[in-house]
Amino acid sequence: MAVTQPNTDLVIANRRETRNRWLLLLPSIVILLAAAVGPLIVVVIYSFLTAGDYGGVVWHFSWDGWLGVFTTSDPFDGTLSLANAHISILWRSVKLSFLTTLFCLILGFPTAYFIATRPVTQRDGWMLLITIPFWTNLLIRTFAIMGLIRNEGLANGLLEWLGIIDQPIQMMFTDFAILLGMVYVYLPLMVLPLYASMERLNFSLIDAAYDLYATPFRVLRRVIVPAVKPGVVAGSILVFVPSLGAYVIPRILGGGTQLMLGNLIELQFGQARNWPLGAALSLTLLVMVTVALIVYVRASANEGD
Amino acid sequence: MIEVDRIHVRFGEGPGAFIALNDVSVTINESEFFTLLGPSGCGKTTLLRSIAGFIHPSGGAIRLAGQNILSLPPFKRPVNTVFQNYALFPHMTVAENVGFGLEMLGRPRAEIAATVEEMLALVKMTPMASRRPSELSGGQQQRVALARALAPKPKVLLLDESLSALDLKLRKEMQIELKRLQSETGITFIFVTHDQEEALTMSDRIAVMSAGTIRQIGTPREIYDHPRERFVADFIGDTNFVQANLSADGTVELPGGARIRAGLQEDAAVAGPVTLVIRPEQTVLEQVPEKAPLSGVLENVVYCGTDTHYHLMLADGARFVVRRQNNPARPVTFEKGQRLGIGFEPQAVQVLEG
Repeated sequence: MAVTQPNTDLVIANRRETRNRWLLLLPSIVILLAAAVGPLIVVVIYSFLTAGDYGGVVWHFSWDGWLGVFTTSDPFDGTLSLANAHISILWRSVKLSFLTTLFCLILGFPTAYFIATRPVTQRDGWMLLITIPFWTNLLIRTFAIMGLIRNEGLANGLLEWLGIIDQPIQMMFTDFAILLGMVYVYLPLMVLPLYASMERLNFSLIDAAYDLYATPFRVLRRVIVPAVKPGVVAGSILVFVPSLGAYVIPRILGGGTQLMLGNLIELQFGQARNWPLGAALSLTLLVMVTVALIVYVRASANEGD
Repeated sequence: MIEVDRIHVRFGEGPGAFIALNDVSVTINESEFFTLLGPSGCGKTTLLRSIAGFIHPSGGAIRLAGQNILSLPPFKRPVNTVFQNYALFPHMTVAENVGFGLEMLGRPRAEIAATVEEMLALVKMTPMASRRPSELSGGQQQRVALARALAPKPKVLLLDESLSALDLKLRKEMQIELKRLQSETGITFIFVTHDQEEALTMSDRIAVMSAGTIRQIGTPREIYDHPRERFVADFIGDTNFVQANLSADGTVELPGGARIRAGLQEDAAVAGPVTLVIRPEQTVLEQVPEKAPLSGVLENVVYCGTDTHYHLMLADGARFVVRRQNNPARPVTFEKGQRLGIGFEPQAVQVLEG
């Protein structure tokens, strides 16, 4: 008995500690459930319900929401056919997000490298310049781009004044306009993680590679890129994910014609009054992002070995 | 053979500019172990990085086998560096690190593999070939860095304070190892260090640097036994400086009045005040002060294991250290406050002007 007594105490103490740990975790669990898991469950449920005539849902099970993602039913005989409009919007979303990530990487890499190679006292100033646009309202920034590229805007005016063109180039309401806007808006999200990993870069590695007969391009490819890869991965994810769900930028710069997934989803909850389809499209976007992330992270991890 | 010809390096512009190298010239022979020795900020690393190509001197020339390499970028110079912090590529294995230079030179795979194997054997790192640098100890990383720099068979190997990050025991081991590698490969080594002991044990010749200039070049023995100026004498080894007076007849009057005939250098024979350099280990203590040329009052006794240091105060108030090897068979006890004679041979004395 004398021997087992301390053991029993220990068990009780352990139990108490476990309970305390759960109590401490409770606030975060509640927030997670209320803010992430709960709403997601609501979205999943809504995607399997019937659309109400004036928005909202009728509590009646239906596949229509999910069928509507890729197919469209004929209003007269109800036959299903492939929803070309949805597929082209999906394709545009993926294409523009991919291109946005690519251009942000091409522009952000030298920018981050430039800042990381400045004297320590100057770096904060340069980073401030990168982050200032970030503090400005997204709408204002997007309208500013519009001012630049519309037919009577700065870019066309300049080209006409220089005599390069005599008719304004139609840039607004094109994929180009959306791409330009997204690259501009999301560039800081690429530069910040790239800079963070480049700042930690051991620059004597670059000296060593130069010393061992590597040309500047090979130094970049064989030493700098592998060393800052975590920054490249993080930056690409940070740009790609919001690009795929972009809403404001394509809405303003793409006009009503060049829709992206975000706009299509908004349309279902607004004018189209098809909440189940909107919910299904939202979940489609979520699945696409998740799959893209898994594929990308796996690929970049394998490449390292 | 590598010729450094009046190399000038300046950092910054205008009156605030810092002259890192002031028209430095030195010729380093084929297969020589040459050491640049000096305190931090003396310009030794700047000279090394100028040879490697990372610093662009504003004047002068660096000739390797007669050809001026100053206009070549680092990746076109047949020179390799062992960096102070090793700078091993963390995302590559040991073998990939060692083979990197040859790969960049576009050598065939079979040749790279063979050379990597040979180099790893040379530095005794063959079992570690597939490890990452992060899995190695400091000494092992050091060996890999050496193998990597030696693999392309450079004409000159530059070593930038390469042993300073190692602990004492490992450093001693690597000193012998480096010397072995140098004689086995026959490559010219240019070694930068602030550690005078390291310089003395490893080098064929040493250049002692200070404030952007070379103060003296010579073999370790020449530098230690015949320092040409106070800075060199002070920087290399422990030294006693004694103020004395040189007479026209070539004798030197010591503090306390004794006269000796010191080993004068031909050009140093200018009558007037001179500084004598006397190494602590080349002196002995005498119980009878009158028997020795110098005498002083014993102030402090410091036991250092292999030997004991006796700190004395001379007649003119200057400090003097006598080093005596400890020998239990001949125990000697000198009392603090005792006046003792300091004996030495005339050859032990170096006369410096001023």
